[in-house]
Amino acid sequence: MLSVNGISKSFMGVKALKHVSLEIRPNEVIGLIGENGAGKSTLMRTLAGTLQPDSGTITLDGELLRLRSTRDAAVHGIGMVFQEQSLLLNMSVAENIYLGQEHQFTRLGIVNWKAMRRAAKRQLGKIGVDIDVTTRTSELTFAARQMVELAKALTLEESVSRPLVILLDEPTSVLNASDIDVLFERIRSLKKRASFVFVSHRLDEVLRISDRVYTMKDGEVVAEHPASQVTGPELHEIMVGRGLQTEYYKEPRQMAPGPEVILEANGLSVKGAFHRVDFKIHAGEIVGIAGVVGSGREEITRTLGGFLPQTEGSLKIRGESVRFTSPEQAVRKSIGYVPRERRLEGLVMFLSIAENITLADLSCVMKNGKINYGMERKLATDWIRKLRIKAPGPDIACRKLSGGNQQKVVLARWMTAGSRVLILDHPTRGLDVGAKEEVYELVRELSAQGIAILLLSDTLEETIGLSHRVLVMRDGEVTARFDAAAGNKPDQVDLVREMV
Amino acid sequence: MKKLSDFFATGWVQGAIPPVLLVLLVAIVEIGSPGFLTGETLGLLLGNTAVLFILATGVTFVILIGGIDLSIQAVASLASVILAQLLPSIGALAFPVAIGAGLIFGILSGIVHVRLRVPSFVATLATGGVVAGMALWFAQGRAITIEEGGRLSTTWINGAVAGVPVVAILAAIVGIISFMVLRYTRFGRYSLAVGAGEPAALAAGVNVDRTKIIAFAISGTLAAIAGVILAARLSSGSPSLANQLLLPAIAAVIVGGTAITGGLGGVARTAVGALIISIVRIGMTFIGVNIFAENVVFGAVLIIAVAITIDRSKIPVIK
Repeated sequence: MLSVNGISKSFMGVKALKHVSLEIRPNEVIGLIGENGAGKSTLMRTLAGTLQPDSGTITLDGELLRLRSTRDAAVHGIGMVFQEQSLLLNMSVAENIYLGQEHQFTRLGIVNWKAMRRAAKRQLGKIGVDIDVTTRTSELTFAARQMVELAKALTLEESVSRPLVILLDEPTSVLNASDIDVLFERIRSLKKRASFVFVSHRLDEVLRISDRVYTMKDGEVVAEHPASQVTGPELHEIMVGRGLQTEYYKEPRQMAPGPEVILEANGLSVKGAFHRVDFKIHAGEIVGIAGVVGSGREEITRTLGGFLPQTEGSLKIRGESVRFTSPEQAVRKSIGYVPRERRLEGLVMFLSIAENITLADLSCVMKNGKINYGMERKLATDWIRKLRIKAPGPDIACRKLSGGNQQKVVLARWMTAGSRVLILDHPTRGLDVGAKEEVYELVRELSAQGIAILLLSDTLEETIGLSHRVLVMRDGEVTARFDAAAGNKPDQVDLVREMV
Repeated sequence: MKKLSDFFATGWVQGAIPPVLLVLLVAIVEIGSPGFLTGETLGLLLGNTAVLFILATGVTFVILIGGIDLSIQAVASLASVILAQLLPSIGALAFPVAIGAGLIFGILSGIVHVRLRVPSFVATLATGGVVAGMALWFAQGRAITIEEGGRLSTTWINGAVAGVPVVAILAAIVGIISFMVLRYTRFGRYSLAVGAGEPAALAAGVNVDRTKIIAFAISGTLAAIAGVILAARLSSGSPSLANQLLLPAIAAVIVGGTAITGGLGGVARTAVGALIISIVRIGMTFIGVNIFAENVVFGAVLIIAVAITIDRSKIPVIK
């Protein structure tokens, strides 16, 4: 039995895991659910040896394990099927299955490829998959690659004498329904020889395949149920942890949008991403888009941000038709993009607060054709005070700020640039509760100033709580629209029904 | 080694080391040979540093945006050939033509890098090869002496104003303008942003492509200016005139404290770096290191400077 005992892990002061304990018994499928940021992936990576806990222990049948690398984990029979697939696409299936284990087939420095192919074929046979092991991995479908990953994890059986523990991190997120059925069938037949930890945010799937379900929230395990004794809605309630807290999202401060249409999409399409999407955002209106990974909602933000030009349909900003082929053009048309990858795309981490704030519009601190450093510092100091950015001064590099304060700098930049439209792509990702609340307050304020906002967020409650209207997308198309005026918020269950 | 590099990576230490090193080197030279750095020898030192500094200033712009320009020595040599070739026929007009060639090849490198998405070291290695080939071709593989008639237009470069060599004044002008451009213009700010975090700069609406092309254009232009000055000083243009200058120029930038990963540094640092390289060069002659072995030392200096200062947190994989 693999036990996790009181594990904690922090990243730059943010607690990702708080005293987490759970047990994985032999021949058992464990379901692990939670919202984005609940700590599921951190926990998986700790078990797989790619992250080391700050405190707490992992034991296997009472023996203390120190997992410093995936190799350490493998020695103890813990294998992981990664969310971002770990296969090297330029190699054959056989080479991938035995990547890093070639020594078994090596003599005098020469690899016996024939023996490796035979062995790889045997591994695939274990899960009843018939793939030519000489195929280049790039030519396989996602579903087939997932099977190869599983076969790769199962090679551990040969070197480890005890039953394996296989970690499956959101294995179904890129699979269609029939592929999922196949995967589940394999897992059920392999259960005799191994235990599984199945991570997903699709509750129905978790309940279908698991024996026991752990629910995580804000870095903690908050519940444990036998799968037969709990329902999806019950789990959802626990996972989200609170009913809709109108106060948290500053709902009383939600004001009715103005009459002016700021942004209008008509039949907006990007081939292979989203298809014929229509929506309008009025001055001061917040429109949320809900949808799972692959629904096309993320690509919409890229199109509006100038990264991904539409292939069809029209986009109008205050009546003017636009098609952006670079972010620079989008910024010129007063669009401000707050990206999900704050550390990569949101801020130039090595530049100061002041330099980041003026980056989108230097003209406001230029005098006689020169950047005026005095004006720039004053502008930044004003924003620091106004938005209560916790920083010793405007010259501090942004990488030294906490996530919440970094996000405030991003927003200060777009306010400085006079943006009329803001694209908020997961604006509270990785922020703690207090910082989230401050961002909500700021978003409300921006909306009250008449800025049109498109919102994508990690949780449905955030989407519903902040938005005036919510669109739901699935497979690149809008499947439903909900009014979300204050006091008339839609139910999450209704949204979920349209999402999957 | 890890702790040492952490220490060197902290901002103010990295900024303070090169000037301290320069002072130390000057002190060593003063102690070894009192009065060496006065009057004529000082003028000679500044004159020798000028060409290196101008070359290094150009490549500073490219390194700041996170790229590299390996074509500078070829561009400088080509400019020297063009100058020597054209002086007899078109006179002083040969200067703008030679420098214009550098501008054009700089822009070309930038366009290849940006539009065709070729990594800058490959792009400039290739354009550098093309440029070197053209220089060889134009000069028929030979050095071209600037004859008496042509020298009328070049003697002023070898002169001095109030005891300060004209080349040093030219280098100072180039340095001051470059410093102002980096500190006070949009392009300068955008260069730092692109070098420190290209995806974020792009998302903030910075025209990354244009910024990069301008940086390469400046690098090419300054390389050509360096080549022209070199030709005037030596009274000859040659397709291999600047061949030994690429390594010291890049070493000067890095030793001066500009990060090879981009986004941090500037022209003032390059001035310090160029002086350090020059003094090391003089020191080597002084203690009798064979002149042909110079680049052995500069190569080693570059490796050491990069190894102790590179910020590995910015680049997860080093290739």
